[in-house]
Amino acid sequence: MNYYVKRLGRSLLTLVLVITITFGLTRLMPGGPVEYMRAQLRAQNPNLSTEEINQMVQAYVGVKPDEPLPMQYLNYLVQVLQGDLGRSTFYDQPVASIYANAIPWTLFVLGTALIVTFVISVTLGALLAYKEGSRVDTVVSSISVIMNSVPYYIAAIVLIAVFVTWLGWFPLSGRSSIDIAPGFNIPFILDVTKHAVLPMLSVILTGFGAQTLGMRGNSVRVLGEDYIRVAQLRMLPTHRIAMRYVARNAILPIYTGFIIQIAFILGGSVILEEIFRYPGVGFYFFNGISSRDYPLMMGGFLLISVAVVLAVLIADLTYGILDPRASSGGGDSEAY
Amino acid sequence: MSKTIQHERESDMNEETILEIRNASVTFDMDRGTSRVLNDVSVDVKRNEILGIVGESGSGKSMFADSMLNAVVEPGNLSGEIIYHPEDGQPVDLANADRETMEKYRWKEVSMVFQGAMSSFNPTQKIKDHFTETIKAHDHSLSEGMAHARELLTKLHLDPERVLKSYPHELSGGMQQRALIALSLVLKPRVLVMDEPTAALDLLMQRSILGLLAELQEEYGLTVVFITHDLPLVAGLADRIGVMYAFELAEIGPADQMLENPAHPYTRDLLNAVPNLNTPLDEMKPIEGSSPDPVNDHTGCQYASRCSLATSKCHSTDPPFEQAGDDHETACFHWERAREEIPMAIHDDVPTSDFAVQGKQSAEPVVTLDDVDVHFENKGGFLSQLRGESETVYAVNDIDLDIYENDVVALIGESGCGKSTLGKTAIGIQRPTDGSLDYRGQDVWETRDGGSGDVSFNEIRQSLQLIHQDPGSSLNPNMSVAKALAEPLKQAQSDLSFKDRRERILGMLEYVGLTPAKDYAERYPHQLSGGEKQRVALIRALFMNPDLIFADEAVSALDVSLRVEMMDLMLELQDRFNTSYLFISHNLENARYLAGKTDGRIGVMYLGNIVEIGPAEEMIDNPKHPYTKVLRWSTTDVDPDEDVEEPPIRGIDIPDPVDPPSGCPFQTRCPKAREQCTKEAPSLEASNVDGHSVACFREQDGDHPYWDSEPVEEVDLETDIFGPDLPPAARPETDTGSGSQTADD
Amino acid sequence: MTRTDRLEDYLAQRYETFLLAWSDWRFKLGLLVVVTFVLMGTAGVMLVPKPAYSDGGKWDAPFAGTENLFGTNQFGQDILAMLIHATPAMLLMIIGGAVFATGIGALVGIVSGYKGGRLDEVLMTISDTAMMLPGLPLIIVIGAIWEPTNPFIVGILVSINAWAGTARGLRSQVLTIREESYVEASRVMGVSTPSILRKDITPQLLPLILVNFVMSGRGVIFNSVALYFLGVLPVQNVNWGVMLQQAYEAGAVTSPTLFYTILFPLLTIVILSWGMIMLSQGLDRVVNVRVRARHEGGPQE
Ligand SMILES: Nc1ncnc2c1ncn2[C@@H]1O[C@H](COP(=O)(O)OP(=O)(O)OP(=O)(O)O)[C@@H](O)[C@H]1O
Ligand code: SF4
Ligand code: SF4
Ligand SMILES: [Mg+2]
Repeated sequence: MNYYVKRLGRSLLTLVLVITITFGLTRLMPGGPVEYMRAQLRAQNPNLSTEEINQMVQAYVGVKPDEPLPMQYLNYLVQVLQGDLGRSTFYDQPVASIYANAIPWTLFVLGTALIVTFVISVTLGALLAYKEGSRVDTVVSSISVIMNSVPYYIAAIVLIAVFVTWLGWFPLSGRSSIDIAPGFNIPFILDVTKHAVLPMLSVILTGFGAQTLGMRGNSVRVLGEDYIRVAQLRMLPTHRIAMRYVARNAILPIYTGFIIQIAFILGGSVILEEIFRYPGVGFYFFNGISSRDYPLMMGGFLLISVAVVLAVLIADLTYGILDPRASSGGGDSEAY
Repeated sequence: MSKTIQHERESDMNEETILEIRNASVTFDMDRGTSRVLNDVSVDVKRNEILGIVGESGSGKSMFADSMLNAVVEPGNLSGEIIYHPEDGQPVDLANADRETMEKYRWKEVSMVFQGAMSSFNPTQKIKDHFTETIKAHDHSLSEGMAHARELLTKLHLDPERVLKSYPHELSGGMQQRALIALSLVLKPRVLVMDEPTAALDLLMQRSILGLLAELQEEYGLTVVFITHDLPLVAGLADRIGVMYAFELAEIGPADQMLENPAHPYTRDLLNAVPNLNTPLDEMKPIEGSSPDPVNDHTGCQYASRCSLATSKCHSTDPPFEQAGDDHETACFHWERAREEIPMAIHDDVPTSDFAVQGKQSAEPVVTLDDVDVHFENKGGFLSQLRGESETVYAVNDIDLDIYENDVVALIGESGCGKSTLGKTAIGIQRPTDGSLDYRGQDVWETRDGGSGDVSFNEIRQSLQLIHQDPGSSLNPNMSVAKALAEPLKQAQSDLSFKDRRERILGMLEYVGLTPAKDYAERYPHQLSGGEKQRVALIRALFMNPDLIFADEAVSALDVSLRVEMMDLMLELQDRFNTSYLFISHNLENARYLAGKTDGRIGVMYLGNIVEIGPAEEMIDNPKHPYTKVLRWSTTDVDPDEDVEEPPIRGIDIPDPVDPPSGCPFQTRCPKAREQCTKEAPSLEASNVDGHSVACFREQDGDHPYWDSEPVEEVDLETDIFGPDLPPAARPETDTGSGSQTADD
Repeated sequence: MTRTDRLEDYLAQRYETFLLAWSDWRFKLGLLVVVTFVLMGTAGVMLVPKPAYSDGGKWDAPFAGTENLFGTNQFGQDILAMLIHATPAMLLMIIGGAVFATGIGALVGIVSGYKGGRLDEVLMTISDTAMMLPGLPLIIVIGAIWEPTNPFIVGILVSINAWAGTARGLRSQVLTIREESYVEASRVMGVSTPSILRKDITPQLLPLILVNFVMSGRGVIFNSVALYFLGVLPVQNVNWGVMLQQAYEAGAVTSPTLFYTILFPLLTIVILSWGMIMLSQGLDRVVNVRVRARHEGGPQE
């Protein structure tokens, strides 16, 4: 119980912190959103009163500049919690609705990529451990290291050059082709998949290396544990030892790595979706940056953060199921 | 419950061999050469016997155990033959069998309990799954198998339902060990190989498991090979005992002969080196030297470098096995001389105490613990804190203890009973939750918090030092011995010049036998053996010129033959440095050795309480508290004639210190507990013998309500160690007690 | 022992550690790569003239002659010269970022692990939270508002939450080390806390800190190149990320003949980051005590 409560508390805290950061950046940064908005609005509407300008600022960024700071913070908090992320200056639409449309796509691409990466790393890592020292081990391990040294956006560039420009197998950009009607039918699904393959591949190819090596190391260690010897002595079937004994115990430590990866990959959506011109959360976020559309930018940051917090929470909670020792909590260490 | 096992088994008819080990060798290829860690061992294991195999750490015992199941770890290479004789059918050579054959025999016929049960279970799988998967893997009927598993668990005093539902980490070490024994027996094997099955457990748990094992062996007609480093432990259990030295079998014979009149010099030396309660203190002596490296070549007798009888022949020729008695073989050329020239220190009569070092304790205590409590809060999460839910571990309760100058107090007790916490509190590194710690009459924690006093906190800090249990981590791996030893001198005597420091360090190294001192001074910890590290740690503590050293199981991690040596050194240096020891041990022998030699005291702790404390020999000869009596009873004398029984207690497992029992802490396991014991906690009260205090109602006068209340549970006891159920004044006089009639209160 | 003796002793010990690492081929390779880049950023800048619009024609193909070995870009600048002259700023960024991330991470991790209690709880909650922040968007937001130009500052900006992982890793290591008996012995002898941290704890952690340093450096490359590639940060000098962006915008990805303009900066980045991974993996022997024990001979059962 304890464990779950702790994790939940941590997630809430992160959430509050993220909101506070966005508020701080919005309100307090010199030359930040509020000042910028106010200056812009005043330039566009020279004959409005300060009060009216302030009200417009609030509509866009959710912060009313002339209120006392705590009030501003409180109002902002309430608005954000109600799902009001302000209004995009660039699209002139509520930020929330822009992102509501984009979220499923990002989750689809990155979620799939993450899961595939995880599955590949776990299987490959365990396999390499069994074949420790063999040729396959050396080759695959080396490849893993090399792939791990490639930034995902570089992989994206190379994939485009190879599969789009030279081979022409995949489309360059977008979520789906314009000429195919959206719906739950085979052509559309195929089309959507085609558009998503390269972004997914960029994540998978560059992400599997580190975790494969981690899994390999853990499996090698687990293979040396006493309980593996005892299991072998008990003449348990090899596949049961591989799955229930080796894999199960070796996954646990890399789970933490996996959790960190979530934040990394979701954050990476910005540049990935920009390269593939894939209208997801990162894409709009980046649009917000390049067009100085602060509400759009801040909303995007908030959303990506929330996604990370939720994903990490899910991962944390499942970890509790995976490792019976986690939920009983380690003894608190004595302070010096 | 505690059934005596007949020693003479009616098994002469099947005195046949069940497992034949022929020329078994295990080698490892290493950079330095081939390491031969089991060298040409041949033994016959007889049907239905308990064979004890004894050897020091690193002597190849585990390799021998692994060989019997053809389960030597990966790069290791087993050669020779392991022939198993099934009850009916052809003998099979397990050492050269394929997987299919192994499937028929391994675990099903020959099964094993590994050294270290704590790591034998898959941490992410419930105990139950371990049983079911084993049964299924061998195509046995699941329901029958599980029924047998439940039966085994019950016999091992476990609640089957609870244990099966648990994950390994939810069980205590003793429970895990018993569950593992059940798991190894679930397929009804004929042979059970046990590698140090009790090494990590407490004294009482060890005894309980041995008792249970003897019962199981009887009931299921098992053949048991019991491997241990602890010779006295198997004395009562085994029918035959084999002694291993340096990867070879040195001697094997019937248990009684092996203990009373062994023929091999090593066995004789080993028995003389083991601290025990029967040997006069000044007759115990350590074995000098250390055991050989497995990579060296193996010609000649392996023991020659340490043997007092060695001749040139011993160095050049391998001694063959010679008959040294009925069914008794020994690999020594001069075994007859050994029997004559190496006297055995063990005498049957309990020795009269004569002390080597006489303590000269002061009138004023150095350290006083006054009504000390130490409780740990297990805080739990934020929400449970809000709800006020938190667990409190009652580690130490209401303890009063005075330690004088040149004093030795040895504390014993089972693991988790708060020994270490009490020790840490006594040297001021653990703040008591309640009560006070005084250093020469000055409150330590008040001083620390800025209170005034004659002595500064820093001085107090330096006067109270400690030595740890694990030699492996007692020294900083990045510091040479000289550097590690310079540290305390810098702290305690900052005025010493570099040269003076160096001189003192070298002098001291010399003194404790780490010669050449210059060489040792430049060594790093990984270049020292466990015993050597422990000696450096002792010097480090002494260089602080402390008034009290807390030695937390300081010899437990050392090899049996090194313990006496280390304790002697501690005592010698006590004299030189004028210091006191608070020594912690989980066994009575070491406590008696150290405290007995200095006229010190032994204290017995149970669940955070000192239940009895008194002069060392008095505590051994005349224990008063039921718990001490059980401990005393369980401390195996090296006596093969006594049969193993379970200790006379009502429960095997210690209560959880988070939820201690009401009234007397020992009430849940005490065979003499009465209703009154569940209501009221006895306090530690002085008895009629000077300095001997006990916390038990049975030491109260006849008008105490204990004597009128009902027993909590009727127990049939076969031993009479608890004496008659009468108040002290009404007991018939015994010759051991020194004055039980003259109660002067 | 005199001062110089002790220095020698210290150096001998470090040298031993170095030899241990050197015995790993990955360490050798990694070191080679990193040293090459350091030379590029120091001596290379002095030997090779600054890239200029007059270096060659527009899009001169690579390996066509002795001039402009890697070809030129759309402005006629020599690509090799650009790569070399972008190195110093990148090295500064790496150092700035890695020093920042490792320094803060080590401080937080060591103090938190050793001190324990409330302080530990607070510090770890902060690091856990920092670890959950999506790094790149946060960096982009701050970068976009703040627009730093100094390479050191950029390095620090892009490592803004990288210290948290280091802190976590070191803390768990410290937790085991501080339970070692010799640390307690020092405490009991009255050795001061800073002294214990310096003599008993940190030396054990050095290899791990080094690994973290290298990995943070790699993170700096990844993130800073990304920021410049996206055009979030103002550009002052030549920069690998900017080279990527310019080539990308000029259609290097869609036109096979121009692909070299993006390939060279891309390879440069991958090679440096690969070298750094190799370096950190090569340190494995030094970090991993179990492996070390095996190396020194004799099983330590
Ligand atoms: N994997 C291995 N490779 C090489 N040598 C080994 C290996 N495992 C053990 N040894 C060596 O084999 C010898 C015997 O080891 P073994 O484990 O049988 O000792 P033991 O008598 O069981 O000791 P303990 O009482 O400590 O369990 C030792 O010298 C040990 O160092
Ligand atoms: S053979 Fe020689 S060296 Fe070996 S034990 Fe016998 S007397 Fe000693
Ligand atoms: S007080 Fe009662 S329960 Fe406690 S030890 Fe004495 S007899 Fe046993
Ligand atoms: Mg062993």
